[in-house]
Amino acid sequence: MLRLRTAQSFRQNAASNLKIRLNSIRLASVAAQYYPNEPTKPELVTETIPGPKSQQLNEELGRKFDNRATYFVADYVNSLGNYISDADGNKLLDVYCQISSIALGYNNPALIKAAKSDEMTYALIDRPALACFPSTDYKEILDEGILAAAPPGMDRVWTSLSGSDANETAYKAAFMYQHAKLRGSMDFTGDELTSVMDNKAPGASQMSILSFEKGFHGRLFGSLSTTRSKAIHKLDIPAFPWPQAPFPKLKYPLEEFEEENHLEEKRCLEEFEAIIEKDHHTPPHGIAAIIVEPVQAEGGDNHATSFFFQGLRDITLKHDILMIVDEVQTGVGASGKLWAHEHWNLTTPPDMVTFSKKFQAAGFYYSNPDLQPKQAYRQFNTWCGDPSKAIIAKTIYKEIVKHDLVNKTAEVGDYLFQNLKQLAAKYPLNFRNLRGENFGTFIAWDCNDVGARNETLLKCRAKGVNIGGCGDIAIRLRPTLTFEKKHADILVQVLEDVAKEV
Amino acid sequence: MSISAKYFPDEPTAPKVVTTEFPGSVSVKAQKDLAKVFDARAAYFVADYEKSIGNYLVDVDGNVFLDVYAQIASIPLGYNNPALIEAAKSDKMTRAIVDRPALGNFPGKDSAEIIADVLKVAPKGQDKLWSGLSGADANELAFKATFMWYQAQKRGYTKAFSEEENISVMKNQAPGSPELAILSFERAFHGRLFASGSTTCSKPIHKLDLPSFKWPKAQFPSYKYPLDKHEAENAEEDKRCLAIVENLFQTWSVPIAGLLVEPIQSEGGDNHASQEFLQGLRDISLKHGALFIVDEVQTGVGATGKLWGYEHFDINPLPDIVTFSKKFQSAGYFFHDPEIVPNVAYRQFNTWCGDPARMILAGAIGKEVLKHDLPALTAKVGAYLYSKLEALQAKYPKYIQDLRGKDRGTFIAWSLEDGAARNKFLSDMKTVGVNIGGCAEESVRLRPTLVFEEKHADILVAAIEKVLSGY
Repeated sequence: MLRLRTAQSFRQNAASNLKIRLNSIRLASVAAQYYPNEPTKPELVTETIPGPKSQQLNEELGRKFDNRATYFVADYVNSLGNYISDADGNKLLDVYCQISSIALGYNNPALIKAAKSDEMTYALIDRPALACFPSTDYKEILDEGILAAAPPGMDRVWTSLSGSDANETAYKAAFMYQHAKLRGSMDFTGDELTSVMDNKAPGASQMSILSFEKGFHGRLFGSLSTTRSKAIHKLDIPAFPWPQAPFPKLKYPLEEFEEENHLEEKRCLEEFEAIIEKDHHTPPHGIAAIIVEPVQAEGGDNHATSFFFQGLRDITLKHDILMIVDEVQTGVGASGKLWAHEHWNLTTPPDMVTFSKKFQAAGFYYSNPDLQPKQAYRQFNTWCGDPSKAIIAKTIYKEIVKHDLVNKTAEVGDYLFQNLKQLAAKYPLNFRNLRGENFGTFIAWDCNDVGARNETLLKCRAKGVNIGGCGDIAIRLRPTLTFEKKHADILVQVLEDVAKEV
Repeated sequence: MSISAKYFPDEPTAPKVVTTEFPGSVSVKAQKDLAKVFDARAAYFVADYEKSIGNYLVDVDGNVFLDVYAQIASIPLGYNNPALIEAAKSDKMTRAIVDRPALGNFPGKDSAEIIADVLKVAPKGQDKLWSGLSGADANELAFKATFMWYQAQKRGYTKAFSEEENISVMKNQAPGSPELAILSFERAFHGRLFASGSTTCSKPIHKLDLPSFKWPKAQFPSYKYPLDKHEAENAEEDKRCLAIVENLFQTWSVPIAGLLVEPIQSEGGDNHASQEFLQGLRDISLKHGALFIVDEVQTGVGATGKLWGYEHFDINPLPDIVTFSKKFQSAGYFFHDPEIVPNVAYRQFNTWCGDPARMILAGAIGKEVLKHDLPALTAKVGAYLYSKLEALQAKYPKYIQDLRGKDRGTFIAWSLEDGAARNKFLSDMKTVGVNIGGCAEESVRLRPTLVFEEKHADILVAAIEKVLSGY
């Protein structure tokens, strides 16, 4: 009896100790640990941004490199944590983060250590043709990093170099999979082997990838054919005649429009299935796969509910179409889950999940071994990825786990969202359709029009916040995973100051 | 002192073979392990890069191979080159890795300098670049530039898009997504993404089951060797192929916006072309208002004995676009016409727009290449190697057919009678400690580093003779 009680109290003690320890980890500012010298607020030294040095350096760059999209020339040596420094010495709170691709903040000490390691040096200077001459440590690098971070139900990966590349290699896997299924145990026919060299059917596929209106999946020719965000991304470039389906246009606040939004999602699902049944159901013209973002980021931060995504999963399973989830922008923690599609609790996992950006490495996850083509050298190229980026991905993932950054981002996101909600109540025209509740810091809202949006972005920059837009009239927040309440407070203050002026 | 001796005082003096099977047992086990999570069926063996040095690649079983394949022609200065170690360990590199910029939006203070360093080894007259991440990426970015340029010629560079274009493009339809083509050649290889894959025509296995743009393929000359004994026939062959190109421009169902060619078709079998053929292509592209794109992904950065493969020829006017990757570690395209930059921002654009870490490495490679005049060294070693192979050819004509690459540095290849004989030869070379690669179905290609010297050539030739003497 006594022993039992002791054991019990020991367990209770251990549990409360653990709780205290977890709490102290949660309470301590990770940003302060990483970046003891992080600025406490934006520091502005020039009247305009870009300042004179930035302009001069940019002009020099422009003689050799198309730089007309430059916001300002950055000084990465003097950037730290959540603050980006420009060439003039202005230090801006960065909630755009290289178009959503800086995971832990600038000059993170753990990443510096990884970058300076011998492991990294070998990966950089002895870059292997990975599939022909893999290195001894590639398996371990994958196991401890990219694969340790794999979404539920996924245990394999094919690595590549960018989001576009990741999506296109996933499309290749989808086409080869669908044709292998049609072909069964048969070998390639003579007709296929000959016609493919003329880029003609039956050797060249007539199948397609379906994407959604306002989707963004990259800018190479296959990925661009699925990108539907803006005309400027696509003009003058030949494209495959692949189908698109509508993506729900939800009304905000969500709790006020539950029924309408549900009907809208139903409508989109019905239209989606109608497209499949109408034109694209029969071989050889079938849809090999659909690709969808958990949040259409470039296209305006358009959200949909689990009902919609589960609907897509059900319909794709029913019609034997693969489901590719593009987590290039949503992945690696920003949504308050490691992978945004984990918010949906799908009954069956997606077939492939693509990643890039914040992970620095790129590629796609999958689990079905048949998504690896039967023959070698079909999903293949010289480099097949980049071990130096996989090392960085591993380091990022280990830091995320060590500091519980996904849960922290969820918490900070909730705090930020509540603050923004108050701002929206005060300045309803400046903060329309606020979205991303319970979705970490992956938050956005609409401005009144494109002019007001662009003015807001510029005024934020002038007040020391580097911030980006998406879609036509939206502003998106894409801070690092070490963005904390203290940063959120500064951001909210600047947004309020700007709202007063716009 | 030789350059390789300077770089690699501890480079092995000969290969060392410790297993009887290739891959060896340790390699097989490691490969199996990797295959659980990553498609590793194309693996030759698992390599130990930490132990590899200079021209020697070490595997996990402890075999030390003289490497004349060099990661499919992509290792420029040998394994663990000290100059590259220095670049990799520099603060500039650390920054580039940990603070990877969205280069199009937020270039760094050092971006102009990094890009200028890459441009120091650009082909003569090509003074601008756009950066990508791989050869396929480089080519597709070049195609995008080509299509935008082509439409701008018709529309007017500064003219706005029409309403119809803006609407139709969102449905992937003309006129916004115009039907335009890139012309490439049979047996060409330009990458394996969807548009680059549409221009690739090397092997069915690269293309099967993938949707493809219906773009035209012309014929690339098939010369008879030795060249000096077949001049008239080969000149006829050039004419025949040029007539096909001209005909395609006149008859293809959609306009051809760009003409894409490798100076030497590498994956497709190391097929060479003449001055007359390449200038002929340039003339046809000019006549029809198409851009002339030279794919130097495999031929670039010194291996042919010139910095860029096309510099063996006097092409006038200069090619419009030159793509690079592989040995340069960084990828992208060089150009000179300012109108090849699209009329407005964000058209040639993506998140990263290249990778400064890789560009820093390219700059460091370029610096070493220029400092030691490695193309000249490669030309010299290549001439030495070629003459030795010529002698071997006389002795083993059945196994060294159509020897090609004279005066093309170490960019040398030959054919065997069929695929089976070639594959057996490649695999037998492992038993004598040489890692060597093939191209097309029946060819062997040499793709050593730029620090491959006479002493390495001697080992290679002796190894080849050892294998062939056993046949």
